[in-house]
Amino acid sequence: MSVVWDLGNWTPAWRLDSHQTTFRSSGTAHTMYGRQAGGANQAGVSNSTTTSGGNSGAGGGQGHDKMKIGFCTDLDKSVLVNNFEKRGWHQVNGDDDWHFYWAGVQTCRNIFSVDSGYRMHDNQMINHFPNHYELSRKDLLVKNIKRYRKDLERDGNPLAEKTESNNSSGTRYLYLDFVPTTFVLPADYNMFVEEYRKFPLSTWIMKPCGKSQGAGIFLINKLSKLKKWSREAKGPFHPQIAKESYVISRYIDNPLLIGGKKFDLRLYVLVASFRPLKAYLFKQGFCRFCTVKYDTSVTELDNMYVHLTNVSVQKHGGEYNTLHGGKWSVQNLALYLEGTRGKEVTDRLFGAISWLIVHSLRAVAPVMASDRHCFECYGYDIIIDNALKPWLVEVNASPSLTSTTVNDRILKYKLIDNILSVVLPPDGVPDVRWNKVPSADALGNFELLIDEELAAQDEQHQNSSNNAHTKTSKMGSRWK
Amino acid sequence: MEELQDASIHHMTAKVIAAIKNTKCYEPIYKELQRLVCSPNVDTHDMRNTLEDAIKGAGLETEIRNIVYNLVRSRLTKTDDKGLTHKQTSKPTVSDPLGYLKRAGVLWDRRVRKSLNAMCTELKVPLHGQPRISADREDFMAKWNELSNYNMDLANYRPVYAPKDLLEVLLSLKGPAKTTENTDQIPQWEFSHIALPVKNLFELRGHYADLLRSDSYLGVPDLTVQCQRILEGRHAPMCQQFLKKGCTPAPYRGALWASVLDSKLHDYDIDYWHKLRNAVWTTDHIVDKLVFKDIQLTASNDDQYFVFEDVLYQVLLCFSRDTDIGSCVDYETFPVKGKTYEGPPSGVVPFHGICMFAAPFCYLYDSPVNLYYTFRAFYIRYCHRLTTINTHPQGIVSLCLLFEKLLQTYEPQLWSHFRELQIQPLRVVFKWLMRAFSGHLPPDQLLVLWDLILGFDSLEILPLFAIIILSFRKESIMQVASLDNIEAILADLSSIKVLPLVQLALSRD
Repeated sequence: MSVVWDLGNWTPAWRLDSHQTTFRSSGTAHTMYGRQAGGANQAGVSNSTTTSGGNSGAGGGQGHDKMKIGFCTDLDKSVLVNNFEKRGWHQVNGDDDWHFYWAGVQTCRNIFSVDSGYRMHDNQMINHFPNHYELSRKDLLVKNIKRYRKDLERDGNPLAEKTESNNSSGTRYLYLDFVPTTFVLPADYNMFVEEYRKFPLSTWIMKPCGKSQGAGIFLINKLSKLKKWSREAKGPFHPQIAKESYVISRYIDNPLLIGGKKFDLRLYVLVASFRPLKAYLFKQGFCRFCTVKYDTSVTELDNMYVHLTNVSVQKHGGEYNTLHGGKWSVQNLALYLEGTRGKEVTDRLFGAISWLIVHSLRAVAPVMASDRHCFECYGYDIIIDNALKPWLVEVNASPSLTSTTVNDRILKYKLIDNILSVVLPPDGVPDVRWNKVPSADALGNFELLIDEELAAQDEQHQNSSNNAHTKTSKMGSRWK
Repeated sequence: MEELQDASIHHMTAKVIAAIKNTKCYEPIYKELQRLVCSPNVDTHDMRNTLEDAIKGAGLETEIRNIVYNLVRSRLTKTDDKGLTHKQTSKPTVSDPLGYLKRAGVLWDRRVRKSLNAMCTELKVPLHGQPRISADREDFMAKWNELSNYNMDLANYRPVYAPKDLLEVLLSLKGPAKTTENTDQIPQWEFSHIALPVKNLFELRGHYADLLRSDSYLGVPDLTVQCQRILEGRHAPMCQQFLKKGCTPAPYRGALWASVLDSKLHDYDIDYWHKLRNAVWTTDHIVDKLVFKDIQLTASNDDQYFVFEDVLYQVLLCFSRDTDIGSCVDYETFPVKGKTYEGPPSGVVPFHGICMFAAPFCYLYDSPVNLYYTFRAFYIRYCHRLTTINTHPQGIVSLCLLFEKLLQTYEPQLWSHFRELQIQPLRVVFKWLMRAFSGHLPPDQLLVLWDLILGFDSLEILPLFAIIILSFRKESIMQVASLDNIEAILADLSSIKVLPLVQLALSRD
């Protein structure tokens, strides 16, 4: 069955598989023992913020000899600047000759706009794709995923297989059902009402399409409340709401609770290229916890601290803890789930998460302007329900680089360091002509999610050696 | 000779039988046995064989074997010390060379209780607790699953003691003066004067030999399959043996630990849990405040454990009411004059960080009641030795001594570095030892370390591992010259991998 022929050879290996560490296989220990392993990728020693990240640092040094690399950033964040300076880069203005630009989305839009007339040369890189909003805007993401599913269905692709829904509301996609039912308002209002009437008891969440960090979000469990909002929005006092479109999504009302608390996952996904798709998952994602107990009673419906896990929302809650910031590592989540629910379901969950990310990216790949100067790091927000099914909530194209805790700072520093070492050629000099195949060492804490180019090569190779179906069947079992 | 052996077996059997009758599991087993006797398979003409078959068939044999195994491991040895500590079996008298240690143990315990009593007096609350007023009781019951939302004023409460306090007492331990020794030549070291026998590295290698064996049990290479089969067999010694590998698959760890610690849930355990819970609901006790305070000071701020805050409240509150703990834990006895003080129902006065002994279990069990019994068994068998002064070969004093001797023998450079800086090396590692590394190692690695504690039934891994870490970070430590800087180097253990480091240390020549 060719359901997964195109997934490439990624493995969800972000779990700490301690039981596989045996004396003989643990090569790191031999080299690490007795010395403070300064640059070893896995060993963030006591003061990780000041240790230099192995290969990438060397790359910067080499580039320095050949070419003085100028970086430019709109964000004055130490995790960025420290990383750039560690590589021996020097800061320049946007008007100067830069090689690496960490830009805000607006700058990026200006650079790519036809009017600017700016043409990037081969040794320049920028951290956004021109039309990243295809993924990061809530309405467009849904639109793209819907279209992706339809296209696959039309082509008779087995990925688009449907099944009877268990709540008799018709059918749902067997493999591509990873975003909650969503409509764009006001455009899809009638469709929403139709869906609403099927499940009059469910709760819906309204989000403005263009905003982030929990701004403008509210919950609805009565149609009348939506009507009231709509009337007010049309009124003279809220002209901005009238212009703005909203998405309304089925609210995941059965989230997985840990310690009685609701959380969502924040995962970092690096896309080095959309065509062919090359994407990497950062292993050190985290769970963001609500500080207040989860409670579905109606009185709590307006207490957004209960429902929204965004740090920017939680920070204003009375019980925000500055030592851990409500953040719990994905490794700990995996350890907890394996210990309390078993390995099989945990593996299935993390497999499903990788699956969800890959297909959300494939859904937007055809419409993305695939510019070789660009790469982008997305913040994926995912909610897990109590049946351990992951749901994609939204994708952020400029995930926060603000550090709330010490560990957060270490993590984000590492994230930027690893992003740079993945997207830059081995010599550390931005170059669009590079084939974008980083070495295993350069990946750092990233793991390959998918590289269509490599996967195609593999397939070709396998076809020629005539054992193509062994791999296919091996991959297939992962999803059954 | 044979007669003697026979007699000793008979003696042991009698003891075991007597002990079984005092356990909670005796009655259910007895009832099950009665049921089996009446079953049609048991033939009155061949009672012995047919009943034995029936017992085996019903799986009762394994259960009885496990009970005997656990009794022999714990309760029976309570009175007669095993192995290394033959010398101590004599009655405590003033002439006992370790008398001063036992005395210190009794005094420490008294001091801790006295502090608790003083706190009660100061805050004008009765030590025995008082009934909760009905509004409070209802609030408490309603918030039982979210006690982090239960409001109380804890401003006047502080932990009764912290690792530092125990460390100071330990460092001030003075043995009987040894006049024959020239004190100028013998370094005034903290523990070397204490006459407790501890292992050297060679003996530790012998004790932990199984850790270096790469053979697979049951001829199955796959750990998961091995684990499943062992759990199906239900033999506690097999489970213990499996933990020695140090690579327990996470999904089976909870069951393995429960099996080794004999903490699998029975109906009476659940009833008893409810009883403890009711005791918490109905009475307001000073230890409740101390439990809340401790969790808020430690687990709630810990990025590995904060999500389990509410579970920990439940577990530690019930723990404080559990009178069974006092009867299972053996305290040092030594005739000391003076007033005695009462403690909380469990006999355990909460100290700064006590909840960190329970926190790692949150990664093993979803339900508080499962968590409770395994944690309690682990506490009784191991943790309490880390917070009391005792002469047990796995007590904190012996562990400190072991640490000191290992450092002196195997890391002489570090040892002299510490001496030159006039830093007592124990100061650097004591919090690791007293908390069994909980809160210091990341949970996945901590659980591996505790696998080894359970597997080898010994806390000696703690000082050994402390040495391993110092040795691992030696180069950095050698470059700094103050306690603060050394502590900074050792503050973050997130990159430490337990198994390969321990294996390497044990295999080095």
